[in-house]
Amino acid sequence: MIIKNMIIVFLLLLIAPGIVFSHHSVSLNFDQSEELTLTGKLTKISWRNPHSHFRLEVLDENGVTTEWLIEMGALNTMKRVGFKMERFVILKPISITGWEGVRNNSLFLLEATLHDGTRLICAGASCSQER
Amino acid sequence: MKKYPITSFLLLFFLLDSYSKITILKLTLADETNVPPLSGNWIRGDFVGLGESGDIDPGILTQEGRRRWDAYNFKVDDPSYKCIPASWTRVWLNPNVVVKISQTDDEVRLKYEFMDLDRVIPLGDPVNQSVERFNTKGIPTLGYSFAWYEADTLVIDTINISRGYISTIADWAGLPQSRFMHTVERISKSKDILNIEITHDDSIIFNQPFVTTISYVPTDYQLMKYNCDPEEASIVEPNS
Repeated sequence: MIIKNMIIVFLLLLIAPGIVFSHHSVSLNFDQSEELTLTGKLTKISWRNPHSHFRLEVLDENGVTTEWLIEMGALNTMKRVGFKMERFVILKPISITGWEGVRNNSLFLLEATLHDGTRLICAGASCSQER
Repeated sequence: MKKYPITSFLLLFFLLDSYSKITILKLTLADETNVPPLSGNWIRGDFVGLGESGDIDPGILTQEGRRRWDAYNFKVDDPSYKCIPASWTRVWLNPNVVVKISQTDDEVRLKYEFMDLDRVIPLGDPVNQSVERFNTKGIPTLGYSFAWYEADTLVIDTINISRGYISTIADWAGLPQSRFMHTVERISKSKDILNIEITHDDSIIFNQPFVTTISYVPTDYQLMKYNCDPEEASIVEPNS
């Protein structure tokens, strides 16, 4: 019995240590060397991550309408800085200045003048200033 | 006692020997459990050393590495259009998003706002690598990882990475990685700065290990859902 208990104790001691130890790039997609200004009306707004975008209908002097894709900052970043997204209103006139994209009719928003005259200044991939 | 004098002596010896070993093991364990406090919410700060726009010495690239980099077409090759992060380096490089780190005795969890990534990495022994590595389901370019602590540094070792790109932004866009890529992230805290040093060891792409360091700072911002939608993320032209 004593030997049996000793074997159990010995086995437990052997086991014991085991128990103890057990998105895309703005600089590539847009030409940052020049700025372009477009005036038109918003037709679709999509607040998204990693980039928000909306569509702008631009009427030229010949009466021809062209659609542009406008891109801006990430939704989460805009929420954090308290950006008032509701200021962008569908079918209201807007003027947008930004970097022209390397693809057809695309623009990265830097500045916008809204239908009520409010001017928004954006910086880089996030729009954090407003005045 | 009188009946089993030698057996009793042996038992006493084993007891004392085991007690001393356990004591030593407990002391060692106490040292090992003194892990660096990395838990908290972090957001990307400035680069230290090479960053996304840091110059890359062309000499560090192999001929194949150069060929793959030159072949990169950001208009179609960027996996971000499908809401897929190219690499852990690309994930760490993303600005304006929160990373939440939490530590337990047997794992470290990194929740990235970017693409809603949730990385639960087991802690293991770097020598025998006995733990099952963590992988992000459905994103083979992020490989399989396990981690351990070296003094004040969390080390994350990642292998079995599928062919792709280390980064897709700015001057590093299209910098390739092959299936032989082995990345080691070394994360440490200095005052209030989280330093993430990433070593990219890939003999197909680089002549020597390529190292970059990215810094993060504490933030009061909380994690937000990213909800990247591939259909929306792929829109790059008005008629797309």
